[in-house]
Amino acid sequence: MAFFTEYLADPSTQRELLSQTVEHIYLTAVPVLIAVILGLGLGILAHRSPQLRSPILSVVSTFLTIPSLALFAILIPIVGIGATPAIIALTLYALLPIVRNTVSGLFSVDRAVVESAKGMGMSATMRLWKIELPNAWPVMLAGVRVATLLTIGIAAIAALVGGPGLGQEIFTGIRRIPAAGSLESLLGGTIAIVVLAILFDLLYLAIGRLTIPRGIRE
Amino acid sequence: MSDVTSPETELASLGADTPPGETMIELKDLTKRYPGQETPAVDRLNLEIPKGEIVVFVGPSGCGKTTSLKMINRIIEPTSGQIIMDGQDVTTIDPNQLRRRIGYVIQQIGLFPHIRVGDNVATVPNLLGWDKERTDARVDELLDIVGLPPDQYRERFPKELSGGQRQRVGVARALAADPPVLLMDEPFGAIDPITRTRLQNEFLRLQEELQKTICFVTHDIDEAVKMGDRIAILREGSRVAQFATPEEILTNPANEFVEDFVGTGATLKRLKLTRVREVEPTQALIGVVDEDRNELRRRFEESEWTAMLLLDEQRRPMRWLRGTDLRSSRPITEVGVRARAIVEPQATLSDALEEMLLGAAGVAIVVDRRGAYEGLLDVDDIITAIQTMKDAQAEFYRAAKLVDPETEEGA
Repeated sequence: MAFFTEYLADPSTQRELLSQTVEHIYLTAVPVLIAVILGLGLGILAHRSPQLRSPILSVVSTFLTIPSLALFAILIPIVGIGATPAIIALTLYALLPIVRNTVSGLFSVDRAVVESAKGMGMSATMRLWKIELPNAWPVMLAGVRVATLLTIGIAAIAALVGGPGLGQEIFTGIRRIPAAGSLESLLGGTIAIVVLAILFDLLYLAIGRLTIPRGIRE
Repeated sequence: MSDVTSPETELASLGADTPPGETMIELKDLTKRYPGQETPAVDRLNLEIPKGEIVVFVGPSGCGKTTSLKMINRIIEPTSGQIIMDGQDVTTIDPNQLRRRIGYVIQQIGLFPHIRVGDNVATVPNLLGWDKERTDARVDELLDIVGLPPDQYRERFPKELSGGQRQRVGVARALAADPPVLLMDEPFGAIDPITRTRLQNEFLRLQEELQKTICFVTHDIDEAVKMGDRIAILREGSRVAQFATPEEILTNPANEFVEDFVGTGATLKRLKLTRVREVEPTQALIGVVDEDRNELRRRFEESEWTAMLLLDEQRRPMRWLRGTDLRSSRPITEVGVRARAIVEPQATLSDALEEMLLGAAGVAIVVDRRGAYEGLLDVDDIITAIQTMKDAQAEFYRAAKLVDPETEEGA
């Protein structure tokens, strides 16, 4: 391990890893945020309309089956290289867990609860915001969490199409194998991604604690 | 439709113009036809529900009783027909405004799990825009009424309550804005029998004060008889087989359908009305603990019984002994199995049956007040008793029909 601690001790490495981590967070947060907004709408739509449910779910599932490298490459001629194709591609990937969990979260709300809300004179909009979404929230949040972890992993590949993030360190390592220091770069980038994933997971745990009403917490 | 007042003012007066005993809700040719289904779920239902009474819709599952109920607050939209509430056709009112003035209790209760008990009860007052002070006072008052001390229960979440407590909150929530009409769909259906009986009694006591107009759906004729001021027995398509008071329905069923429907449930109910002392017990092979062991063995072997009931000196049942037990050398009070399922003469046949089913022997031992053995009761005795009751009932119905000319189907 001595060689690795040496690598980590180097201030230039530290600077590099730190700035790439910040880029990686950006590359994760932006697509997830867009996917949450889109996914919430699509999920509610799919829950409400039986006709749209199947098409919506099929399309978002299909996105996830496209190999990430291919999707990045396809987007380059359209939007150029750099962060943009990565953000678009990652948004598309993040959609599936969010839409899926929004739909199943809304379906998981006890029908009797929704019916009694209706029976008491709540309008459809009120029922959605005051009853259905709060009760579907734990499942929806789990979807956002999965989408975030998925994005953190796939975002590493963005480096191949000139994107930012910790993928750069990993691919620097891969390109230089078997040269000296290649393994260190590879490991450094990977470990940083794992640590980032764990930190995000803890963040979601905290968000869950803060936002899931006590009455429906496990 | 010709009415030009706003829904709010129309609704505020809901029920105010109708004196007690007069029709509060009138169902006129109410029909629900689901697309793709040949027969309507509810077929031209006509019914008048008097103000201040509990009218129970009862019938076999799938008869359309719940659908009929849910059309009154338009949870299910009628295909055709009218619902006149306090002289006004409810299909012309905004459904959300309408529902805020009709209490609604369903079997699964449907408390909002993410908010506290107090907020659940405050749902309709909040929708109606009551100020906080008035709402809070009303919530506490209602929790008190349904027997849940507000200080203890207001801040709890529904998951922290038992089934019976949830049901109480459900009733409190339905009563929150003091609606003149309550719709209850099998409200006590998912609760254990003991709690159910208690809640039914409490609710009846409550209704004596409140005098709400209540539509109550159940599939249980016993519950219908207990809760209803009037019972509508419904058959497929929500066709009214009989609409009358419970007494009238029990003593004078309008047709075979009513007779059958009342009959099946009524028999078991009758088991609760018949006492053990009214049935002649069978005599078992008995032995007393201070008798000679060889004598007991001889009597056992000469008989056709597979077991002997051993009594103590006061003739109280002790143990069931079999051949091997009598032949063994161990003390007689330690062999065999302990005698269980002991019933007293004032116990009901329903109690006796339950004891029999719980005890391993399949029989109940009848004892007198001091616990001394009187005889045995087995399942056959109960079946015979049921048969006798049924015959007597049939005789009674036949006699009743001969004197009542209105024996045609439908009410």
